[in-house]
This record gives sequence, structure tokens and C-alpha cells, in this order.
Amino acid sequence: MSTEQEERNGRRLGRDDFLKLGAVTVGSGVLAACGAEDAPEPSAGGPTGEDVEERPPIEQEPGDLEVFEWAGYEYPAYGGKNGVLKPYVDQRGKPKFTFLTSDDQALGKVRAGYRPDIVHPCVDYIGNWVEMGVVQPWDTSLITNFADLEEPLVTGGQVDGQQYFIPADWGFSSPLYRADEVEPEGGVESWTLFYDDRYEGKISWWDSPLENFVIWGYVNGIENPWDMTDEQLDEARDFLMSKKHLCRNFWSSQTDLDADIAAGNIWIAYAWAGSYAEAKNAGLDVVYSDPKEGRLGWNCGFVLMADTENFRHAHEFVDAWSSVESAEWIINNYAYGHANTTVDLANVPKDYVEVFHLDDPEARQEPNAHYAVPVSTERRAAYAQRWDEVKAA
Amino acid sequence: MAVEARKIETPTPVPVVPGRPRSGLVTTALLAPPLLWLGVFFLVPVVLIFLYSVNVFSFFPGEQAFTLDAWKNFLDGSPFLDLFWKSIRMSLIVSVVAVVAAYPIAYYIALVASKRKYVLLLLILAPFLVSYFLRILAWKVILGDQGVINSFLFWTGLRDEGDPVSWLLYSQFAVILTLIYVYVPFVALPIFASLESLDRRLLEAASDLGASRWQAFRKVTLPLSMPGVIAGFIFVFIPTIGEYFTPLLVGGVDGTMFGIAIADQFGQSLNWLNGSVLSFFLLVVVAVLMSIFARFLTVRRVATD
Repeated sequence: MSTEQEERNGRRLGRDDFLKLGAVTVGSGVLAACGAEDAPEPSAGGPTGEDVEERPPIEQEPGDLEVFEWAGYEYPAYGGKNGVLKPYVDQRGKPKFTFLTSDDQALGKVRAGYRPDIVHPCVDYIGNWVEMGVVQPWDTSLITNFADLEEPLVTGGQVDGQQYFIPADWGFSSPLYRADEVEPEGGVESWTLFYDDRYEGKISWWDSPLENFVIWGYVNGIENPWDMTDEQLDEARDFLMSKKHLCRNFWSSQTDLDADIAAGNIWIAYAWAGSYAEAKNAGLDVVYSDPKEGRLGWNCGFVLMADTENFRHAHEFVDAWSSVESAEWIINNYAYGHANTTVDLANVPKDYVEVFHLDDPEARQEPNAHYAVPVSTERRAAYAQRWDEVKAA
Repeated sequence: MAVEARKIETPTPVPVVPGRPRSGLVTTALLAPPLLWLGVFFLVPVVLIFLYSVNVFSFFPGEQAFTLDAWKNFLDGSPFLDLFWKSIRMSLIVSVVAVVAAYPIAYYIALVASKRKYVLLLLILAPFLVSYFLRILAWKVILGDQGVINSFLFWTGLRDEGDPVSWLLYSQFAVILTLIYVYVPFVALPIFASLESLDRRLLEAASDLGASRWQAFRKVTLPLSMPGVIAGFIFVFIPTIGEYFTPLLVGGVDGTMFGIAIADQFGQSLNWLNGSVLSFFLLVVVAVLMSIFARFLTVRRVATD
């Protein structure tokens, strides 16, 4: 279990840290500039049913599926020969995995001309992927497990009514706090714990361009916090600036956050379920809050590159990923949620059933939980600019 | 007198290698690889960064046209400019303290330690055997709310258990302290080098002429070691302005620096336009500072000749 824990953390650690290190090197500028000419024009619409008919049968595809994937999903027990994806691997051969460390790094690499067959980004970046014109919608009729996938995640993966994104792994994001040190105002669980003056210097927000504004939006009853106007964002920015002195830090790697919680530096944090498990393992008295404004949910899945020659291979691979066997493996081994809702709860540890509300579909739906949704390039830039101002101020 | 003498000497051409005329081909062949390397991996990227900063290139496909808007926004009182000055301030503190702390160490090794000189020099470099990341993590353990220092304060009763000194970690203080720790060896080396090559006879002469040890230090040793001091200062000041890793790990909200802002622009914010402005600005400031320092160094050398 402990190695699996590390693997999980490793994935989250990699996501932001390595990117940041890499991003400052001017080399990426060269790559991007060279790739600038290669970026294809946005494709007009996706394939219709007829397109699929016209596509060559799977035997005529080159195969050698290339998957741009988070580290950890290629392990032999999962993506390998005898792993959960065995049905695909046996028939079509082992895919070639390359690794992304964060959504922005993945976008940057594709921007610079990298062309895998499928990529595993998170849903709030789908707007960027579609606008960059490098992806095409999936033909969901080719994915036999599609009907078993969680409905809000499926609809959340649509842009302009087309299914550009097949949801795969997900998890909640919620306030985590030390029950022995922190007493929520009036005993009510709420995201406003992040702005509580009593805990100055003991709070850690996530260092991410969207979420802190989204939380402010839900706290203030904004109708769609994922798509706020410039005026709303300005108001949120000013508020966050006025409260940022309460934060000890803005965390960017889960390992660092877990260490800070264990060391008593942080009592209240934006956290994924993994941090809750980690704090529990460390023997701390912690609560993974169910705030009255609703938990947030992150959600990653697959996009299909526009110029893939492995159209049918890609669908079969994602079909295997979407299977109930895959879901059980992901939940049990990585403590992530999985979009497939048909998991037999008897095969899942009780803790996980509880943390992910696996036995309570309503708790996973609006208004009790707010999954991330695609955000347009223009809106993301507006959020990000203000978050950078909050950080720099 | 010395200046005049040099004037007379300089016009006399000195043959490079008698009997073997310098081959232009060999010179070109020797210089070409490093120049090519510099050109392809330094100059071209710098030009590209500049082009990104004026929107001739952009991350997302779309309208790309020359504009100075991002530069105007940056220079017109943006929080990033304030952050830049804050980083300069922090770097200055780090550089000055590091030089002051390193000087006695270098002095001791170069002039006092005699036989054990090189053993001590190796000891100074010993921390480099441990990875940078681990050394900074160690500071987190020392400075945390339940870390070594706070635990000691609790134990002595100087602080209540529920009331740790919290500005030790995740603060400007933490960043400055850690950077000083990291850079002292870098500063000690050039100062050591300049003190090592000091002509001891000058000190004897000073003493013969009745100077006290303090006077000899102030009038002879210190001025002669200035090139080392300035070189050491530059070794700290220039790289710490754009420091990224240390503030990321121990800086928290208060101790953030310009380098983090640059990384964020190219990373999670996907704002290569702004990121290029910030990096190019940093590059220009560092280049200007370097040329000023370089001039200062040469003047000093001439003066001490």
C-alpha cells in the first residue's frame, strides 16, 4: 500500500513541480516557435457517422498506439501485458506511453509539434485543446462501456455539443482541516474556513489559476463560477488579495502539503482525497469537509488527436480504460474515483466508498458537488492573470 | 610612471609564435563550435523570447501582430514590477550578508590556516555533496512550527507550545537565510583566490612602516582583495534575482520572488506573452548590471596594478 501511496503522490508531485522547472528554460521557446508553423487549423466540426464508415478498418491502421499519459497508468499491473488493460493489449499490442507532468506542459508539447494518438488532460483544459484545433470528437458508439460512465462527467466533457472528452479518473477537492485545532465558525462546514481570520498563518490554498476564484464564486452564490465576468473576477481578486495574508503558503505539490500538515505548519488546506488518507495514516485528527457550498471535483480523461491514424485503436483503448475492471483497479490502487459507475462496492474498501460517496450518487451531483468543466482559452487567461496578480501583490 | 612605461611598450608588436604564422583556419575551427553553440542555444532563444514578448509569436494560434501592450502593462505599475524590486532587495541583502560572512572564512583559510588550507577548502565545498533539494528540505525541518528551533524554544520555556515563532519558515526571512547558506561557499572561493595571491611582502612593508595590523588590513589586504569580493558579490547577486527553487520551497506567500512569477506565466497561466516580457526584462537588467560590475572590476584591477 505504501508504494502505491508514493506512486500516487509521485504523480501529483510531477504534475506541477517538474513543469515549472522546465518552463523557465528558454528551450521551450525554441520548440514552440519551430512548431508554430505545424499547428493545424481548427477542424470544422468532428466526424459524423459517415466519416466513421469511411475510416479504414482497424486492421489497416498502423497500430502502435501512442498515449500521452500521466506516469503511473503505464505500470505493468495496469497498462502492461498482464494488467487490467489486458483485453486491449492482447489483441492490439502494448501501447507506447509518453508522459505528461501537467496540463499546461502537455499543451505546450503538443503546441511545439508533438503528435501522439490520445492524451489524458483534465476537463477544465478541454477548451484550450479544442481551440488549439488539435483534437477531434470521439465516436461514442465505438465505446461499449460509454453508457456506464457517470452522467455529469460525460456532459462536462462536451464542447459545442460534441464529446471531445471521455472522462476517466476523478476525485473530490475539499477543505481538509485539523479537528483538534480548528473549529468551523458556528459548527457549519464551509469553504469560508479559507478566509477565517482566527487561523492566520495556518491556511494553505492551492496554487492554481482557477480554483480560488471558483471557490469565491460558490461562496458568493455566483451562478456559474467557472465562467465569471471580468467584473466578478476583479471583485474576487481584490477579496483574495485582502485575505492572502492568512495563508502560510499556496501549495503546488501534494507531497509538500502532506509534509506541512504532518509537521503542524498547516491546519487548513484545499486538498484531494490522497492528502486526507496521508494525514490519517500519519495519525492526525483530520476532517475531510463536506462544505455547504458543495465540494469541487477534478476530472481527467481522454482526448483524441485530430490527425491520428489510429482512430479505431484509440477507441478500443479508451473502451478498455472505461471498463468496470479498470475502475476497480484505479479505485483500489490509486484511491482515485473512476467514471464507470457499475463498480461492485463489495470489491472496494469501505473508506473509499465513503470518501467518494460511491454509495450515494446524489452526493456526486450538482448542487452537492461541482465537477470542473471546460473553460475557454480567453476565460482561463482572465482567471490566470488575476491569480498571478494575487500572488505577485 | 608606470602608466607611461606601459605606453611605450604597447606599440611594439610581439610575434605570437615565432616562425609559425597563426593560421586563420585553425582559429576559426577552434572558435566555431562554441560560437555556434552560443548562437543556437542562447542568442536565437533570446531573440525568440523577445518576439513572443511583442506578440509576433504566441502560444495559441490566433492573431499575431506586433504590439508593445504587454510591455506597457508591465512597466506601468504592474504588481510584477513591484515583485521585481522586491526580488532585487532580497538579492542585495543576501549578497551583502554572504560576502560579509564569507570574508573571514576565506581570510582564515588563505592567510592563517597555512598547512590545512586545502583540507579546509574542501570542507567548505562539502555541502555540495548533498543535493540542493535535500539541503533546502533540511531547512524546512529546522525552521518549521514544530521544527528544531521552535522545539528548542518550547523546551527552554522561552515560547509556549501553542505559540511557535512562525516567521521562521515560509517568509522572506526563510528565503534570505537559505540563500545565504547556499551561496557562502560560492563567495568564499573568489575571495580566497584573491587573498591567496596576495603579495605577503606588502604586509611586511606595511608593518615595517609602522602600520598596525588593522591598518594593514584596511589599507593593503582589503583593497587588494576587492576583485574577489566583487566577483563573489556578482556570483550571488546575479543568480539570486531570478531565484526560483528556494522561494518555491521555503518562501510561502510572503517570500515569493520574480523567478516564480516567470515560471507561472510560462506554466500554469499559459501566458507566454507576459512571461516573455518578464524574462526579457530580467535578462536586460542582469546584462546591464553585469557590464557595470565588469567595468568596476577592471578599474579596480588597474588601480591596484
